[in-house]
Amino acid sequence: MDYVPITEEDKKIMLERIGVQSINDLVNSFRPALSNGRLDIPPPLTELDLFQHMKNLSNRNKILRYFVGAGSYNHYIPSALSHLVLRGEFLTSYTPYQAEISQGTLQAIYEFQSFICLLTGMDVANASLYDGASALAEAALMAASYTGRKQISVGNNINPQYFEVLKTYCDGADLEITRNQANEYTACVLAQNPDFYGNVENLFYISEQTHKAGALFVTCVVEPTSLAIIEPPGNYGADIVVGEGQSFGIPVNFGGPYLGFMAVRDYLLKKMPGRISGMTTDSAGNKGFVLTLQAREQHIRRERATSNITTNVALNALAATVYLALMGRTGLIRVAKLSYGMTHLLQRKLSVLGFQTLNSLPFYNEFLIKTPTSSKTIMSNLAKRGICGGLDLGEDRLLICCTEMNTVQDIDDFVSIASHDVAAIEE
Amino acid sequence: MEKLLFEIPEGCVTEHVPHTTSSSFLDGSEICSNNDGDLQLEIPDNIRRKHLPLPNLSEIDVVRHFTKLSRVNFGIDVGLYPLGSCTMKYNPKVNEDIARLEAFASLHPSSPEDCLQGTLQLMYELEKYLKVLTGMDDFSLQAAAGSQSELMGVMITKAYYKEKNNGKNRTKIIIPDSAHGTNPATAAMCKFETISIPTDPRGNMNLDKFKQSLNSDIALLMLTNPNTLGLFEEDIVQISQLAHANGTLMYCDGANMNAFLGITRPNDQGFDMIHLNLHKTFSTPHGGGGPGAGVLGVKAFLADYLPVPRVRRRLLQQRRQQPNRLRPHQKNNSAQENNYNYLYHYYYFLDFAKRKSIGKVRCFYGSFGMLVRAYSYIRAYGSNIRRVSENAVLNANYLLSLLKDVYELPYDRRCAHEFVLSCRKFGQRSALDIAKRLLDYGVHSPTIYFPLTIPEALMIEPTETESRESLDMFASALRSIAKELKEKPDLVKAAPHTTPIRRLDEVAAARKPNLRWTPSCDQSTPPDKYVSTGGSGGTSNNHHHASNSRDNNI
Repeated sequence: MDYVPITEEDKKIMLERIGVQSINDLVNSFRPALSNGRLDIPPPLTELDLFQHMKNLSNRNKILRYFVGAGSYNHYIPSALSHLVLRGEFLTSYTPYQAEISQGTLQAIYEFQSFICLLTGMDVANASLYDGASALAEAALMAASYTGRKQISVGNNINPQYFEVLKTYCDGADLEITRNQANEYTACVLAQNPDFYGNVENLFYISEQTHKAGALFVTCVVEPTSLAIIEPPGNYGADIVVGEGQSFGIPVNFGGPYLGFMAVRDYLLKKMPGRISGMTTDSAGNKGFVLTLQAREQHIRRERATSNITTNVALNALAATVYLALMGRTGLIRVAKLSYGMTHLLQRKLSVLGFQTLNSLPFYNEFLIKTPTSSKTIMSNLAKRGICGGLDLGEDRLLICCTEMNTVQDIDDFVSIASHDVAAIEE
Repeated sequence: MEKLLFEIPEGCVTEHVPHTTSSSFLDGSEICSNNDGDLQLEIPDNIRRKHLPLPNLSEIDVVRHFTKLSRVNFGIDVGLYPLGSCTMKYNPKVNEDIARLEAFASLHPSSPEDCLQGTLQLMYELEKYLKVLTGMDDFSLQAAAGSQSELMGVMITKAYYKEKNNGKNRTKIIIPDSAHGTNPATAAMCKFETISIPTDPRGNMNLDKFKQSLNSDIALLMLTNPNTLGLFEEDIVQISQLAHANGTLMYCDGANMNAFLGITRPNDQGFDMIHLNLHKTFSTPHGGGGPGAGVLGVKAFLADYLPVPRVRRRLLQQRRQQPNRLRPHQKNNSAQENNYNYLYHYYYFLDFAKRKSIGKVRCFYGSFGMLVRAYSYIRAYGSNIRRVSENAVLNANYLLSLLKDVYELPYDRRCAHEFVLSCRKFGQRSALDIAKRLLDYGVHSPTIYFPLTIPEALMIEPTETESRESLDMFASALRSIAKELKEKPDLVKAAPHTTPIRRLDEVAAARKPNLRWTPSCDQSTPPDKYVSTGGSGGTSNNHHHASNSRDNNI
């Protein structure tokens, strides 16, 4: 199967017009030619064969009942969402360079920016970054460029994958990573809320100490449904808020594509990476939207740009905007309360069984437990019953997560299987 | 224009998820609810949100809002989109259905490995096909976009020299003046200095200038091939030899790979690394500006530097082959590839061993949803994938033949998959005017003012999925605009005339930025005041939403 509409007849006419005998005459300057022209790729497939092949391949995966989050959260996606996001006018457009015929994308981005500001309590947001982890790294680079300092301080338990990405970017940019410091060399202090273990903290004190040292305070939100019921970072003094928007209507998708976001205080606007949509007027005085403040970007500034980012994740930003519009504050608060409630229900039931909770602070929808037997045994017994019991952090540590997708029945099954494991040790 | 979401009158929200007081929740959870039957939140007051200023809208209003927005947006599904360097080809619909198969889309990245076999196999095989097409020895699928692959490539360069020269880095990167802006921006992110090389009279990178610039400080040459002028770099083999003799690595910006599939391989041209944009060459939808996916291919000596984890497989014990269920016409080809049973002979796994890895550049394993579409696209064309590039080159050269007598062709050569014309004879800002006027003809405009080296540039990439009729229509539009510019220039300068809005005031947008909607009641009291722990907390000044629902009172 192919998607080329040119017929043999067309081809003849076109070659004649160009003034060559064959297509080979057009491509023979591309050297060195592929030896013997043969490709070790399977033969073409019709749509039916392709679909069946892909379906068979996908069926080699197994979907479980997930009690795992750790950067990827299994939330309900309203049906209307994909119908809207799949509209070809959105799906098959590109970066809105021609504003007059891209008002749909531009207005949706403007609305996305507004939602992110409302949720985080910040002044301005960009059109999206790749994912939460690279957004955190971009925040570090931005803070270093703004302050002219070279140390990035990690202030609490951030997701280890986020830390790895941060380290990669900092190595590239010759920045040093420190822990829990704020002094005259510190460009910024980064803290995740809720942290990797689900702990929720008022970070006002850290933010105050950070500002005293003349550094920027960066908050990272990996599970943004928490923002429905937890104090927004803008209220405890964040200068930059970054995070992962996957929870807002984007499938877990084996880890991507996701939705990085960034929101900042007004004074950092010119240092912010990525696209920004702004409202303005047209020559007839009507309101409209354009990509704005482009003088920050690589296609204008080249080596002096704030970042190299160009393509971001606009369609996922649209999905998040549609999600937040469909859920409303009522729906989002329900999602947060259910996630919170289910998590605490499971935690209490496991406590009764003798699983010790290691969280010292209030937690949102993830918690860390010490398992009475090896976490590996518990995970594998749960997996046999179709449950993914959490993120196995080794030995006797398990990081468990619930969302509104986990039913009370799921929780009872989890507890019942775990109780067999506990009983097995007692014997 | 459609009003903002936030200006739509509030309505009844569709109940997408249960209320926390619903019976399904309460059945087993008496410990979590209070006397009112509502969930008891134990989140202390100093971290509890007091007000969530989001609108409550009815589903029909939301659906209509976004449907209206879509109708003032232009995509490939609407018409020709010859945006040079972006490869706006048709995005097969079947790939959207495939990417949404539940067993792909709902797979959590932290699932146990034996639940990931289909996904890992897909990634493994995609790497294999990309190796075949580029000649590279190894691939990483992790990057979210081409520019992030570039970042990986430059980081690998840095790590490579650090190790090779006992910690002493080479500090400079050579980039031709026609390169994409991402190349120098990426180099700067890793603190490299960039050296720009001019273009020669045939549209190639100037070989003499390149030779003069080579010295022991040059870490990398970042080259786009075919270059951004849509021309094959004729000296590429010699350039690679010179670079390698100088100990300099060769990086290919593979944004233009749509010209090369099955025709020539970057490896054979001497490149050590190449990134491919799956959303360009392999037709994953551009989505209004992403998500894309970048993949980075490297030669064996650089493989240990790639991000982790890598997808690998091991042979399991051979299983008996069951009867082949293929359609008869496929039997003569390498039939086993398609046989379901054959696929079970390997166990796929993630290899987290770090070796010399630069580390991770993003969470988890890459933009998997995009990898599915690209894989599926490659399998559809299969061994005939050369047809993509042949027809992309055919379409571009045909379109060029229809235009070069009216618009100036700066380098008079056959083009690859795209070409650049100059409109300078029509005066300053004419490229912008022409682009805007094209919108009235129902097509998207080409890329304009890029590459920076061509004055009043139009960069045109029709792609292989346009019919001859569509190309003829585009050519006649551009020809009649050239005529309009002579006969009634004001018509063109005031364009577009038929779009939902007219030309927008970009200067005002940048000078007085309006970048978000702000709730009216918050305007009197800015929402961003810092509040102390345990204090009065949050913005309590919003009353207009308060009567709506118990859920509103957090």
